[in-house]
Amino acid sequence: MPRPLRWVLGLGLAGLLLVGGLLLLPFSDWLPGGTVGDISKQEVVNGTAFNRLFPAPGAGEEVVFSQEKRGFSEAKLKRGGELLALLAISDTTTAPEARAKFQSSGQQIKGWPLVEQGPQASALLVADRFQVKVIGQGSGLDPDRRHALLGAFDLPRLAALEPSAGAMGKQLPPASGDPLHQLAPNAERQPALQPAA
Amino acid sequence: MSRTVLERLERLPRRDLTVLALKGISTLVPGGWSNPTSADQLIREVIGSNDPELIRLVRARADQLSGARAEGYGRALSLYDAVNRSQHATGGLRFLANVTAGLPLLKRISSITPPSDTLQAVDLSLKVGAELLAFTQVNGLPGDSFGDFGAALADYAGEARVRMAALICFDGLLPLGDQALQRLDGLLGAAGSGELRKLPAYGRMAALIPGRGDEAHMGFLRKGVDQWLGWAGGFVGQLGLSGQKAVQALEGSIGPWQGRMDQLAAFLDAFTDTYAHTGVQAVARRLVERAAAEI
Repeated sequence: MPRPLRWVLGLGLAGLLLVGGLLLLPFSDWLPGGTVGDISKQEVVNGTAFNRLFPAPGAGEEVVFSQEKRGFSEAKLKRGGELLALLAISDTTTAPEARAKFQSSGQQIKGWPLVEQGPQASALLVADRFQVKVIGQGSGLDPDRRHALLGAFDLPRLAALEPSAGAMGKQLPPASGDPLHQLAPNAERQPALQPAA
Repeated sequence: MSRTVLERLERLPRRDLTVLALKGISTLVPGGWSNPTSADQLIREVIGSNDPELIRLVRARADQLSGARAEGYGRALSLYDAVNRSQHATGGLRFLANVTAGLPLLKRISSITPPSDTLQAVDLSLKVGAELLAFTQVNGLPGDSFGDFGAALADYAGEARVRMAALICFDGLLPLGDQALQRLDGLLGAAGSGELRKLPAYGRMAALIPGRGDEAHMGFLRKGVDQWLGWAGGFVGQLGLSGQKAVQALEGSIGPWQGRMDQLAAFLDAFTDTYAHTGVQAVARRLVERAAAEI
């Protein structure tokens, strides 16, 4: 076989291998980017900020953190190894549709609207942005206990959290007066959201 | 190519050798194992409701989350797949070596395969390392302190008890003997980066393991294994796991086994997907727990 032909064949094979490798190997998962709903990570509050706002466990109970991502933190409430409930705080920036259910909410906890989702889940929307949720697991929790747990989160400090890059506009703590009208231009939306604090 | 996590959960086999092997091992673990392969059933369990509208919402959110690369659910599964392929390759070679050892013409195959304890130890540590990497991809770094992180890791392992029992039995106790966990550190100390290079999965994982170069990677794996050994030692003691018990449990579901324990381990490595199978189930559960909290 003449030398140039050998070179061409060799290069062709190497090229095929490279292309095949790029197409067939599962690299695509590892490319950077690809955030939820294509919303930049900077606009979402990091889950680390939520951790210290979780309720302190009662006697004989423990809170074990299970997941922490951008805009999400989740912990498990356990008693003696038995799972009682999932406790979670999430930033609804990546899931705006989750806010819709609070429009028809009749109940409140500490001034924030409360919604029941099925027999085991209670959710609270804080500062029109952060969803706090308690989901009973296993044998389940009664609504009063779930509401008590929701109230035990550090809600004032949660309402005062800001996104790192200020992409959402400045949010003031609810104690300083009239925060929701500043961040919601359509101010007629929720007079009911005035925190009682 | 890119199936969502819940689609992959629903495509898992309901009855094959993998499921039988796991069923066998699960008899050693309190609480048992039911091979969850239905996404809707999993969602019902997590939210404690039968409302089809809620289930649809959770599912839609879970699919959106597993489609987002940065959230790491898909990455964890690709890690499990890489380890699974590597396990098939090395297990297949070891099995072939065992089968052909008696045939004169094919004897050479058994002499070129390295079924050494060291290679097996490195394989186990690579699996434990993949487990740690996958954990951080799925769960992030939960909590504010190292103690929180340790508690989260132990909690996750406790949730996936059958998965951990399968890992300890199939990759530790059966091929390496009952003292596997105690021997592991010594075996890894004796292992050079050459052994690491022989494993097909290492090529795929190398870029993900912190540190540069084979030596640094070996150091990371040993540290990860040290963490895991503390937990696994307690687990083995608590359940009284041993190679003999594992063989008996497997015989109950798969059928009688006449050969040596390490041959059984090679057979299982070559023909079952226990690691990836339970991995998909563990990731799916965490994903649904998150989706349920975000809808």
